[in-house]
Parts: sequence; C-alpha cells; structure tokens
Amino acid sequence: MRRFSYIVFSLVFVLTIYLPGQALAGKITGIVKVKGLRSPVDILVYVVKAPAVHEDLSKIKFTMDQQNLTFIPHILPIPVGATVDFPNNDKVNHNIFSLSRTKKFNLGSYKPGESKNVRFDKPGIVELRCDVHAEMAAYIMVLKNSYFSVTDDQGRFEIPDSKYLEQHHIKGIKNLSPGKYVLKIWHEKLKPQKQIVTIPEKGDISVEITAVRGTPGVLYK
Amino acid sequence: MKRYAFAGILLLLFLITHHFEKNSLANTTQIKDINKTTIQGRVSSVYGPVQNARVRIPGDEKYTLTDKQGRYLLQPTHVHFQGVKVTAGKEGWFNNAQYAGPLGRVQDIYLNPIYLNDNPDYRFISPVVCSRCHTKLTRYWDQSKMAHTTSNPKVLDMFYGTDAFQHDNVKPGYRLDNPNSNGNCAVCHAPSAAVSSPWSQDLRSVLQSPRTEWDGVSCDYCHKIQKVFPDKTKASRMAPIFERQSSPIGNSILVFGPYDDVVVPPMAASYASVFNKGQFCATCHGHFKPLGSGKTWDHSKIYSPSEWEGFGLKGDTTLPIQTTYQEWEHWQDQLSWNDPNKGKKCQDCHMSWRKDMLPYDNYIVDGGARRMWGTYRSPEDIHPHQFDGGTKIQLKTALSMEIEGKITGKKVDINVYITNTNGGHWVPTGETMRSIMMVLKVVDSNGNPLKMLKGERLPEWTGKGKVEAGNYAGLPGSVFARVLADDKGHLNVPFWRATSIASDTRIRPKSTVKLSYEFLLENPEDEPSAEARLIYRPVIRPWVKNKHWLAEDILITSRVW
Repeated sequence: MRRFSYIVFSLVFVLTIYLPGQALAGKITGIVKVKGLRSPVDILVYVVKAPAVHEDLSKIKFTMDQQNLTFIPHILPIPVGATVDFPNNDKVNHNIFSLSRTKKFNLGSYKPGESKNVRFDKPGIVELRCDVHAEMAAYIMVLKNSYFSVTDDQGRFEIPDSKYLEQHHIKGIKNLSPGKYVLKIWHEKLKPQKQIVTIPEKGDISVEITAVRGTPGVLYK
Repeated sequence: MKRYAFAGILLLLFLITHHFEKNSLANTTQIKDINKTTIQGRVSSVYGPVQNARVRIPGDEKYTLTDKQGRYLLQPTHVHFQGVKVTAGKEGWFNNAQYAGPLGRVQDIYLNPIYLNDNPDYRFISPVVCSRCHTKLTRYWDQSKMAHTTSNPKVLDMFYGTDAFQHDNVKPGYRLDNPNSNGNCAVCHAPSAAVSSPWSQDLRSVLQSPRTEWDGVSCDYCHKIQKVFPDKTKASRMAPIFERQSSPIGNSILVFGPYDDVVVPPMAASYASVFNKGQFCATCHGHFKPLGSGKTWDHSKIYSPSEWEGFGLKGDTTLPIQTTYQEWEHWQDQLSWNDPNKGKKCQDCHMSWRKDMLPYDNYIVDGGARRMWGTYRSPEDIHPHQFDGGTKIQLKTALSMEIEGKITGKKVDINVYITNTNGGHWVPTGETMRSIMMVLKVVDSNGNPLKMLKGERLPEWTGKGKVEAGNYAGLPGSVFARVLADDKGHLNVPFWRATSIASDTRIRPKSTVKLSYEFLLENPEDEPSAEARLIYRPVIRPWVKNKHWLAEDILITSRVW
C-alpha cells in the first residue's frame, strides 16, 4: 500500500511538471499582410519576452553564405550566443564586416572557397556589409530567445518555427505556455508593428498582422 | 600473295595510326601535365638580361620575377590553351611573350623599352575604337559620370553662370566672376583637350570640337599615363606623366595598364603599377587653392594637426577644396599593418563588380577579339569600369545609422549614431556642394512633435519652406558637409570665391558620430517615438533653386525608436 502511494505520488508529480509544457501550451501561427512591398517574404516575427534558450549553441551551425554578390539569407535570425559561418561561395573575394554597436567585426578580404565565423553574444541588429561590393547588405538579428520565425513567400509564420529548429538541430524548444505575449515584426522596409497575443489553455493561436512600408524600428526598445 | 600484301597494308596502317595517336597523346599529356612542369627561360633586351621582370602564364594569378641574369622558373597553376604561352612585363617596357617547348624550355622573351619620347602632338583615340574589342568595359564607362565630365550640364552651368533653362547671369558662375579666364576646369573635366590643345580650354569649344575623345575622361587618356608624381604647381598637387608614342615597329599603339601579360597585336601594352594604386586617381580627386597675396586663414579650428598634415599642407596659405585622395591616403597611413582595411584602394570599390553585370565574365575583350586575343582571368583580376560614386548603390551602404532612446520622467533622451561604414574617404567627399543631413522627428503617441530641450538644429541653407518639399532648416538634426566661406562671412560660396572653411563636419572613414538630443515629454506615461532619416543631397538647396536643377535627394537609411 505504501509502495502504491509512492508510485501514485510520483506519477502525479511528473504529470504536474510535464503536462503544462506540452499538452496545454500552444504555437503562434499566422500571416503577415503587407502594403507597399512586392512580397511578404523575409519578415521577422518574434516574441519579445519568452523563456531564454539554455541549450549549448556552440555546436549549432548557422550560415550566412555569399554568392553572386549576395548574402544568403538576407535576414538571419539567431539566438544570442550563436556562432555564424560566413563561407565565400562566390567567384570573387569578399570582405565582410559590421560596424553595428551590437557586434563590431571585420573578417578581412578572403577568397572563394574559404570561410570564417563570428560569435554573436549580445541581442540586437547587426548590419552586414562587404567592404568592396556596395550592393551587398544583410542583417543578422540576434534575439533574446528562440521564439521567432521568418515569413515565407506567402507571409506565413509559425512560432516556434519547427522547420528552422529542425534545420539547425535545435532541440528542447517547447511550445509557449498559456498567457499573454507581445509579438513584433521587423523588416528593413516596414514600420514596426506590435501585437499582443494570448495563448489559450489548449491549442494554438492564429494571428494576422498588417504591416505598411516605412521606417524599421529597433529589436528591443 | 595478295593476302600477305593486304596483311602488310593493315599492319602499316596500324603502325601509322599508332604513331600519330602516340604523338597526339604525348602532346596532350604534355599539356595536361603542365601543372607538374617547371617552365624555365630568360628575359632579355637590347641592353642584356632584364631583372625583376614579371613572368607568368597569361591570366595566371601567380607570377615570378627574373633574377640578375634575367632567368626565371615558373610553375604554372593552370593552363587554358593548347599552346603554353609565357609572358613577361616590366614597368618601362613593352610586354612580350614566347611559347614553351615540349620540355618546358622557352626561347628568350625579348622586351623592348618604352622610349622617353612623349609626343605632345599625339591625338587620343576615340573610345569608339576601344569599344570594338572592349565592348562591355566601354559600355560601363559610358554609363558613368567619368565619361561625361565635360558635357555634364551642371558643370557647364557652373562654368558659364547659366541655369537649367540656359538663362545667362545665374549665380554662381565662374565666368561671371572671371569673364576673361578659362580657369583650370578643363584639366579634369576635359583632360584630353587640356593636354592636347591647351588653347581649347573653354568647355563649349571642347564640346563643339569634332574630336569625340575630348568629352569626359576617355579610355586612351587614362591608358597613356605611365606614372603619377607630386606636382605643387597643379591644382590637385599631383600630375600624370604621359608617354604618347607608338611602337617603333608597325602601327600598334602604346597602352599602359595593370596587366603584365597582355600581348596582343593591336596594342603595344606595357605594365604600369600605378593602375593598381589609389595614387592614379589623385590627379583629379584633389583640389587645392592657394589664397595668394599673402592671405591666410586659421585652419586649427576646423582640422586637427594630423588631418591638416594628411592633406599634405603646411602653413595656412592654402585652402583644401577637394581632398578625396588625401582623405583616403591619411586614413590608410593611420592603419596598422595588420588592419583588415590596410591596402584597400579606390579601384577596389569604384571599379568592382555589380549585380547587373553578372554572370561574371572571365575576359576583358568581347566578340571576335575574345577568340583571337582573349585571356581567361579570374573575375577578381578584372575591374569593370563603372566608377560608381555618389550613386544610390554606393550611398545605400556608405553610411549606417542606429538610434536609441531613454525616458526619464518628463525627459526623452535620443541618441543617433551615424557610421561611415563603406567610405574609404570622408563622406560626403569631392564637390563642396554635396551634403548629408540627419533629420530627427520625435513625437508623442498622438503624433504631435515634442519640444526639443537640447540638441542641434539644421542650418538655414538646408532649405526654408515646406518640409514635404525637402526643406529642413530649423528641424532637429545635423548636417555633414565642408562649408566654404568668403571674406564677408557668406557660407556655401563656390570655391573660386572662398577664402576660408567655415566648418567641415564630414564623417571620417569607419568612424561613428554620436548625436544627442533631449526632448520634453509632457505626459510621462505616454509612449513617444523617434524617427531619424539620413539624406544625401547632391547639391545644396540655394543653388538648386537658383539654377533650376533637378538634383533629387537620396534617402540613405532611416530608423525608428
């Protein structure tokens, strides 16, 4: 009888800890509709305050490629503490650097086939440039948590972004617990937009954000 | 008997085929194995062996230098043609070539010297001639400002004192103030004419000439420059050294350039290292004005001693009008040897590939010329002649801006950080009519502007009138420009009337300017916002109004807090 009580007590304890994080929590899915842009692609949608990542990011690979005088992707969101590889897969030398206050670095000029990397240890926006090719510009968005997504060509997003997490082999990111969250967007040609979303006790929440062309804001005010 | 004869013929055919096949394979093997082969030879001249000649397989990234006896050993990294050509070039000599033999031996490469007999009567070749082989290069050049420096309407309006409608007596105008002088505008705005016919320095007469090579900075003009030397008698304080001559043999034309491996019959090419140096641009991208008549001005309030020295100036009798080359040189001089920016030069940014030029080309000649004389090169070794500068493409990444804010009770503090990210010179540079403005707007949650308590406002010359029409005078913000002044204290005067520099707030290479502002927040519970816009203005507003010019502002970037 005593043994039975012990088992029941342990089971209740485990369920109390485990269930709210899984069955009760939900995703934020939705769509961003834009006015003044050709396509609603590459818009960063992120949760301002959410549980931080405690995973070891040193083994996770994030890549900002260089091909045909273009950074690929144009916007790369990463959790704070991540390291990004900068392979030169172009036919000419490139010199990537940033003078953003979030992260200042200069990788110097390097040849096709070579790669260098940088660790980003402070949240904020990092504007990338190539010292010799004026058209090359991209953004690394260093976020405080892993609850973010970049829209597809239809403007759709999902937080947490299962594709992104799978692509980068990031594990341990659970759905958000029920409650209120501040959702923001960032794009270099869109005005900042803020929306408060409430994740219900059960299931996901679907939102629609309307953004207009304008001056972009800061990531965290 | 017939059977034996037939067998004999078959055997003979087999042997012949085998022999040719073997020889053919041997040749192929020779070419395929060239990577493992060492090519050796000698570079000589009428004076004997040539030391320090640059020897390479054309298009190859690596080259080797000859020793005292003119000998070289070359290990090519790749070969593109069936014959193995070896080229040699050295400053002051015509490039030349030889073909390697089967054992990697090459007959002496004979170099002819560039004789020092510059011909002032030489007529520069029209760019149309160059375009026959260098079609793409000349097309890019033709689309650049460099190709139309003489026919540029703003240049002509500034010279003659006219406006966009060709009305006379519209200030400013060089001729309005100096009716009997041609000035020295043609030296850089019509350099082919200025060098060929010094009496044709009136810009209209240059344009009316049938000599099409006289408009702009033409191909043959630049490629006739062998060296660039300091010359304090020139407005730029640097002067080109020309060698306008033809090859002693045949009718080929001497052309200087950055390649030591160009050996093609229509051109007598000669390697000149100055083509790979920022110095090459110095003959025009600098402009100094001696004040004359014992006049001086106090530069210590505008420039640090280091900056003044960087302009190459001593004393206070000279006014630096345009200092693009000196700005770059001073920046480079200050960098430590291991700085990633050390060694960056004008050509790296202003003659680099653009997306609209892709896919990358591996040749600098086009059409039939490519098949006959083309040298396969890495795109890294090719400099498209687009000369981008002050264009949207360049400006969008030349500067970057960040904004931050903080609310403390009834005060809002806004900091704006502007960084010269991609300019290897101060930004804006060149003509003093250019400026960059940061326009700041801070509003409450209802969109009403907040009252500024501390901070700079934009000066009157950024335009009085409606903000929507691009007039920003009096608004919170800052302007970056070199402002020339005259004896009476007038600001933004043209260079020929300037006697001092009132201010020079342009942003130094790779440096950040922090601008701080304080605003009053009536309701501490409110959520104000701030928007900063960074705008490039190619011509200051008063001149645009006077001259009726179309000179649209370019929004570099904007940020919201």
